[in-house]
Formats: sequence, C-alpha cells, structure tokens
Amino acid sequence: MNYLIHLLIYFDIYLIVALSLNMIVGYTGMLSLAHAAFYAIGGYAYAILSVNLGWGFIPASMLGAVVAAVLSLIVSLPSWRLRGDFFVLATLAVQALIYSALYNWTSSDAPLGSLRNLTNGPFGITGIPRPSIFGWQIKTQLSYGIFATVVSAICAFVIWRLTSSPWGRLLKAVRDDELAAQGLGKNTRLVKLQVVAIASGLVAIAGALYAGHVRYLDPSSASLDESILMLSMVIVGGLGNFRGPVVGAVLLILLPEALRFVALPDSVAANMRLLIYGLLLIVMMQFRPQGIAGDYRME
Amino acid sequence: MQIIVNGIVSGAAIAVLALAFQCIYLPTRVFFIGMAGVYAMTPFVAWSVLKAGGGWWLAIPAATLTAVLLCLICEWLIHLPMEKKKASSGAHLIASLGASIVLVQITAMIWGNGTKSLRIGLDSVVRIGDVIVTGAQWITLGAGAALIVAFWALLMKSDLGLRLRALADNPIQFALFGYNVHLYRTFSFVVGGLLAAAASLVTAYDVGFDPHTGLHAVLLAVVAVIIGGRDSFVGPVLGGLMLGLVRAQVVWHWSARWQEAVTFALLAIVLLLLPHGLLGKKTRLEATE
Repeated sequence: MNYLIHLLIYFDIYLIVALSLNMIVGYTGMLSLAHAAFYAIGGYAYAILSVNLGWGFIPASMLGAVVAAVLSLIVSLPSWRLRGDFFVLATLAVQALIYSALYNWTSSDAPLGSLRNLTNGPFGITGIPRPSIFGWQIKTQLSYGIFATVVSAICAFVIWRLTSSPWGRLLKAVRDDELAAQGLGKNTRLVKLQVVAIASGLVAIAGALYAGHVRYLDPSSASLDESILMLSMVIVGGLGNFRGPVVGAVLLILLPEALRFVALPDSVAANMRLLIYGLLLIVMMQFRPQGIAGDYRME
Repeated sequence: MQIIVNGIVSGAAIAVLALAFQCIYLPTRVFFIGMAGVYAMTPFVAWSVLKAGGGWWLAIPAATLTAVLLCLICEWLIHLPMEKKKASSGAHLIASLGASIVLVQITAMIWGNGTKSLRIGLDSVVRIGDVIVTGAQWITLGAGAALIVAFWALLMKSDLGLRLRALADNPIQFALFGYNVHLYRTFSFVVGGLLAAAASLVTAYDVGFDPHTGLHAVLLAVVAVIIGGRDSFVGPVLGGLMLGLVRAQVVWHWSARWQEAVTFALLAIVLLLLPHGLLGKKTRLEATE
C-alpha cells in the first residue's frame, strides 16, 4: 500500500513538472533543458526555509516559486534573440550554471543555510521535515499522498485554465508564427517572459513537494539527466495539449516500476531504464514527432 | 607557464572533438549529440583489445573503426531517415540525444560504470626549464596538431573537402549540380567519427575514462564551436584552445569546481553578445535558420 502511495506522490510531482514544461516546449515551442534547475530551486527553497526557519509548506514553496520565476528571466530573455539549437544551448548554460551554484555554494566552516553555506554543496540537505499547513503537521505517508494530490490538482487546474484561455492561444500563435503574432499587435516578448516565469514557478512547487517527500535533497535534482527525463516525459507523452504530458508522466513513471518486476540484476536495472528512455526518444522522433497523445510536431 | 602548457594540451583535445562536431554539423545540420555515446564507447574497445593481448597497433584501429561504424549507424538508422522526412532541427537534436543515452547505457552495461585507464604505471616526464610535460600530454599535442593539419589539408586541398564545404554552404545547390547529398553526408559522418575517436583515445590515455565522460566532453566541444564561430571550420580549433586555456587558469586561480560555471558563463556571454562567434560570418541569427 505504501508503495502505491509512493507511486501516486511521484505521479503528482511529475504531473506538475510535465504540464508546466509542456507550456514552454509544447505551447510556446521553446525547447528548454533548464527545467530541472528551477525544480531544484523550489526544492532547495523549501528545504532551507523549513529546516532553518521552520516555515510551513505554503509560504516556503511560494517563496521558492517567486525565486524561480525571477530567475527564469535568464531563460526567457535570451529567447528574444536566440532560436532553435542556440536557444537550447542557452538553456543548457543556465542549467549548468544553476547546478554549479547549488553544488558549490558551500563552505565547511559555516552552518547550513547561512549566506556562505546555503546549499551544503554535494552532501545535500538531510532531515527535511514533512510539510505543515496552517499549523497542521503531515505525519503519515497516506496524508502526504492526499496533500500532494491536492496540490498537484490545483496546479493542473491553473495550467488547464491558462492554456485554454485566450492567453493560451496566444502562446500557440507565438509558436506557429511569431512574426504574424507581432503583426496582430501582440507583445510576443512579454508573453515569453510570462510563460517561462509561470512554468518555472509551478515547477518550483513540484520541487518543494519532492523535497518534502524524499526528505533529502542534493544538487543531482538539478542535473542535466533530470532535465532530459522531464523533456522525454513531455516529448513521449505529447506536445501542445493537456492530455499529452499526463500520458507521458504516467508512462515514464510506470515503465521503470514495471522493470522492477522483471528479474533484472540490480547492476543493470538503472542502465536499462535509461536505455529505454533513449530508445523511446529515438523512436518517437522517428515515427511520431508529436508524441503519443500530442498535437504539435517538434519544429 | 605550466598552466598555459596544460591549457594548450587540454585545449587541443577539445579542439579535435569540436572539429569532429563541426565536421558533421556544418554539412548535415545535425546537432550530433550522439557523438557523446561514440566518444564514450571508443576507449572501452581499445581497452578490451589491449586486455585480450592485442597491441596498440591493433587497439587503435579497432577503436577507430568502432567509432566510425557507430557514427554511420546513427546516420543510417536515425538521421538519414529523419532527413528524408524533412524533420526539424529540434527533432534531430532530441533523437540524437536519445542515441547518446542509448550508446552510453550500452557501454555501461557491457563494461560497467567504473573508471578505467588505458595507461599502465606512471607516465614518463620531460622537463623543459621549469615546465613539466608528461608523455601523455606530448601524445595529445602531437596527435592533435597532426589531426588538425590533416583535416585542414583534407578540407582545403582535396576534392572531397571542397564538396563537403559546398554541401555545408548550400545543400540544394549542391544537389542540383548532380552530387549525391546522402553519400557526402556519409563521408562527413566518417570523418567526424575518425576525429571523435582520436579525441576520445588521447583523452582516455591521459586522464582515464568511464562511460559517462562523453556528454560532458561533447558539450565542451559545442561550447568551443560556439565561441570559435559556427560557420567556420577553423573557429572550433581557436575556440577549443581558448577554452582549454581559460579552464586551466580557473583551476589555478580558484578551484576545479568552478570550471563548469566559468565555461557555461562564457557560453552564455558569447551567445548573447557575439552570437556568430569569433570567426563566424556576421549575420543575424534569424537569417541563418
């Protein structure tokens, strides 16, 4: 039972991740590798604030979301000038910079969370408490599962309303023909800032959920591998609509779990999982570039 | 002085890999991250041949052949079919990323995740004044310089080089003159594979290797290409050397852990302020998409 709840919590987390990344990649057509960095920022914000200052989940994750939204400017501002492969490279640079900031913002003689040792570097932050909301402390796995599902449902609802609004159609217009959208008097630069900021803020909340669940956080949650996993979720599931990322999140969470029941030796299992992700990416790009349930073919 | 020498040596290895990347990117417009997998698997083949009792004369050709074959497999199974379907550059990039993951994981499953070394025992050392140059560094420098010169000669003095440059310049016009574009794409993947194998082997001989070095090395090479200028075949060499020098200075003045931050900060600055690179043609980015 605990195992099923654990899976449910992971699904909740990655649902937010995939839906928010889809806003950037699928709706606006900007291939970003920096998403895991903002996810980790949310996680770190929650971890540091709750361990050091005893903040509850809502203020801590909100602050994390704001920090991520502000930092997302370093992804969205380059998108004004860069297209295609070059934008991907710029987001890769952002990912590498944030990763190395999380990895290096440490010194052994200062206490955790102080200005000189903010992240505890490669050793990560341990003993992150389960969240408390309005003075109610979450204790059991089951109540955390319910809590995560509620948070995830709220985020999914926000994304659903946003993407089916006129603003969501503007995103698609920017993706399909930015010049034409500008010609119709739309401020495409502003809309890019908005979408990256909103998506980064939402994924920061997912990061906070992750930190509260695993109760340990290290810089590897901002790594390139994590970004690639998020990207493959969206790409395999489908781009440019609401159901695609849901399918992707379900599939890429259940797939490695299914492998668990095949009798593979432990040393090979992790490699096998990544191998399947890689194969999925190749096969999808080859035969179905819009993903299993998507609308938009990668440009 | 020692730092500059170290920088030039590591820069030479980056430069060769950057050339390999550029050699595929310019003619085919495939952002070939799959090269990371090729780069990762090559030294393991050499290691296996050496372990099985074969000498260097057998190990190097075997490893190089593997690299070239892997590049061709990627081209024939992934990129050529996608090119025929007129896939976008983003789709090529993602498929190529998938290819690199697959190759790296296969390598890790066959040979394990551990770090290995091609060299046995301590390296020989040559002192010039107060500068120490190890044997492996001499090999890197020599092989790097020889390959760069050989590649330059191939590109500028041979018919094949002329055609590759023509393909890079304007593929449609090239096809109109009656050349088989797909055949020349294959050539560019072969040359790219050769260069990648060389870069991988010298680095593996110098500092050892594990299955996960590939992606990082290729990203460095891409940064070198961007810094040097992506329209040029000479730019990557300059970019690679510069990157090697800068990284060596970072290690000396601060710490090795800031290397990545400085490298990617450099990439961000160049992308924003000098998007055509040091030696690139000055065009608007939109115009060359």
